[in-house]
Amino acid sequence: MIFLLRRLAFYIGAFFLAVTFNFFIPRLMPGDPSARIIASFQGRLNEAQVDAIRKSYGLTGSLWEQYITYFGSVLRLDFGISTVQFPEPTASLLFYGATWTLVLVGLAIFFAFTIGSLMGIHAAWHRGGFFDSFFTPINVMLNAFTPAIVALLLFYAFSLQLQWFPLGRAHSTSIVPSFSFEFIGNVLYHATLPVLSIFLVSFGGWHLGMRNVMINLLNEDFVILAKAKGLSDRRVRYRYVARNAILPQITALALSIGFLLGGALVTEQVFNYPGLGKFTFTAIGSRDYSFIQGQLLLLTASVLVANLLSDIANVILDPRLRS
Amino acid sequence: MQKICLLTALTGVMLTTSAIVPAFGQDEVILRLIPYHTDAMVENFNPNNPTGPQQRTRDFTYEPLWIENLWHPDQDVPGLAMSYEVAADNLSVTWKLRPDTKWSDGEAFNADDVVFSFDYAKAHPDYPMGIDVYSEETGTGNVVSVEKIDDLTVKFNLHEADSLARYGLGGIYPLPEHIWSSIDDPKNFANTKPVATGPWTEVRNFSRSGYEVCRNELSHYNADNKIDCLSFPQMNGNEQTVAALSAGDVDWLGDGLTDPDVTFLPQSEFNNYWLPAGSDVNLQLNTTKAPFDNLEFRKAMSVAIDRDTLVDISTFGLTTHTRFPIGTGEMFNTWYDEAALEPYAWLMAYDPDKAIEMLDAAGFVDADGDGWRDNLDGSPIAFGISMPSGWTDWVNTGQTVAENLQDVGINASLKTMDEGAWFDGVPQGNFDVYVMWTNGGATPFSQYHPMFNPRLMVPGQIDFQAMHQMPIPEIEEALTAFKSTSDRDAQLADIAVVHKLVAENVPVISLFANPTWYEYSTEHFTGWVTEEDPRYRPQLHDGTRERVLHALSLVPVAAP
Repeated sequence: MIFLLRRLAFYIGAFFLAVTFNFFIPRLMPGDPSARIIASFQGRLNEAQVDAIRKSYGLTGSLWEQYITYFGSVLRLDFGISTVQFPEPTASLLFYGATWTLVLVGLAIFFAFTIGSLMGIHAAWHRGGFFDSFFTPINVMLNAFTPAIVALLLFYAFSLQLQWFPLGRAHSTSIVPSFSFEFIGNVLYHATLPVLSIFLVSFGGWHLGMRNVMINLLNEDFVILAKAKGLSDRRVRYRYVARNAILPQITALALSIGFLLGGALVTEQVFNYPGLGKFTFTAIGSRDYSFIQGQLLLLTASVLVANLLSDIANVILDPRLRS
Repeated sequence: MQKICLLTALTGVMLTTSAIVPAFGQDEVILRLIPYHTDAMVENFNPNNPTGPQQRTRDFTYEPLWIENLWHPDQDVPGLAMSYEVAADNLSVTWKLRPDTKWSDGEAFNADDVVFSFDYAKAHPDYPMGIDVYSEETGTGNVVSVEKIDDLTVKFNLHEADSLARYGLGGIYPLPEHIWSSIDDPKNFANTKPVATGPWTEVRNFSRSGYEVCRNELSHYNADNKIDCLSFPQMNGNEQTVAALSAGDVDWLGDGLTDPDVTFLPQSEFNNYWLPAGSDVNLQLNTTKAPFDNLEFRKAMSVAIDRDTLVDISTFGLTTHTRFPIGTGEMFNTWYDEAALEPYAWLMAYDPDKAIEMLDAAGFVDADGDGWRDNLDGSPIAFGISMPSGWTDWVNTGQTVAENLQDVGINASLKTMDEGAWFDGVPQGNFDVYVMWTNGGATPFSQYHPMFNPRLMVPGQIDFQAMHQMPIPEIEEALTAFKSTSDRDAQLADIAVVHKLVAENVPVISLFANPTWYEYSTEHFTGWVTEEDPRYRPQLHDGTRERVLHALSLVPVAAP
């Protein structure tokens, strides 16, 4: 219990520190959101109008005053208004971007984790066999690719040249979003290439991780004993070895789910996918303070929550931590 | 028997409905266009919101008083006004409004709406409606008040004589008083149900990935309007838009292209583009600093630059040469006094030997023996040419200019920076050399006025056009004379003075004219503006009031 409380205190401290960083980091960059808007008027604004615009974006007053205001609104869960997608509340844009990022990165993590781990189990069980010596190096190689190259190759081959898949977006413009089979099918069709591009560079990591832990466990006494008892191959493989080997995998999974809300910047750019990464990229370029802050906060919160959950899981699974 | 009857009837119903549904969709003529890149559509149709909505809402939904045809000033077109009259003393402009006009919700449009729009702009300076409202406090702006003469006549009163005020006033998009009078914070008003007078006002199928705006049943354009709806798909990125155009999913674009003959034309037989010369691109030198405060140095810089390379290679052959060192390029070539400008044409010709000769003669020599020329007082010359890092053609331009200057012994280098930092660097005046576009407008006045207005040269609020910070009082006088008369010959004489003074003083160095980006597909529509039929400026972006006429003049291709 004391362990958990200590962790909790740490998380709350980290959160407040992050809130502060979120405020100052965007403001350390040169330029502010009003500069671009004023520039877009090509000199047709007079000074009174320029001042009024800056004031209405909250860009007047000392940094400290702005910080106090910001902190107050964060506590009220008010993330402000986006200056790029004006006057949309940042919260609603974050929710929108997060939804699509969850679809995209969530599907990719799910497939990469499941397929990668299963392949790892298989490769470890039959280590040195054809499957292992063929797929393990290939998966390791794929894992070393950068998402940019894979996404661009897939986009070029299957969207531009063969035209099997759409040129991006989350769904067709002609379909009105709803919980219908047609819409969900359309979303999955649009998500195929982006998900595949993340999947291809990440499942090798799960494969390798699973395989290595499995191989270590295979020489443990309890496995040898289980085999000696004459238990079925299948039972030993999944109930004895894989079940233990999956623990570190799950810790890693918790972390990658925490980082999930960072979005998949490159993939979202290439496939024009309306996820958080893409919004954040634009927001940084345009100094959309409230969006950058909101996104950083969301990311911090999700990483902290994922860590907390994995701590709790560890306490449950590992009796040594409870004393 | 009964069963068979029922079955036939059912099949019949199914057949007809299934036949009707898609046919209904096909019968609508929809023009698909992308005037603005965005990550997500926001339900905002506020015509004066500069973050995107006005790109899709102005002209198509909200109508200005007057539609200036910039390429054919004699063929301008009435909008919400039918005619205008500039007073003899140039101190007021009177507009006759279009009779029997209704807002799309059925309310009548009249002079009250125009009066309201002005008062509203005055009351909300953070909601710029494009009216140059006079402020007694700061002494800025020029439009003092507006009077309702009768239901269909309004008169704008000016603070000082300005024959050009009608261009700005004609560009106002009047707002319906019965809607906006209850809006206290117009900047934050999303205007989700636009009430306007333009040809397309009815928003349909809104989602974050696109929407349609359909025919305004009360619009006076309806007799000529062959297009039922405009469709604005959400896209961000030129690869996406160009691919969508090639696939026939979009009809009209205004996106930057690299090597369009290779990357764009072969993608579809219907793909077309045309890049008429747009505004000029200038090198802005900070003339408050040495060595840029020296006229001979500026002139030498101008002849040291190889503009053929800039046009043909650095900017991929997409830009256009400009002939005279006057900072505005060919956009206003009907205002040239060519004989008077000819003696300055040498400043635009590449002649590195002459540059070396001029620099030597002016005393810019290598005093400390480090291989680079130094200032007259012996301090070293070293400066960066600032460019936003993503703007490839301009980055290449800066690189070429820097190499050209190095060839004549000037230690110049390219300095790329993030776009936000680039925008932010200007107002404080902390820079050496920048590359900058020029503003558009109806007359050369709109380009020269911000360039030479001393109010815009104060560090802290330097305008993008006045970064050189060199006041030239004679130019200011000539510009004041220009706007206080409506006599074309007098204006020509005034602008000739400006041209000559710019060429003599070289406050900015002219490089080339930017392309005007315009791509279109003939798959679903014909009748596009082309080089052979340049009836309107073909840009799709806000600021081109003619774009609504362009859209209305398109002819849908009959379904096969």
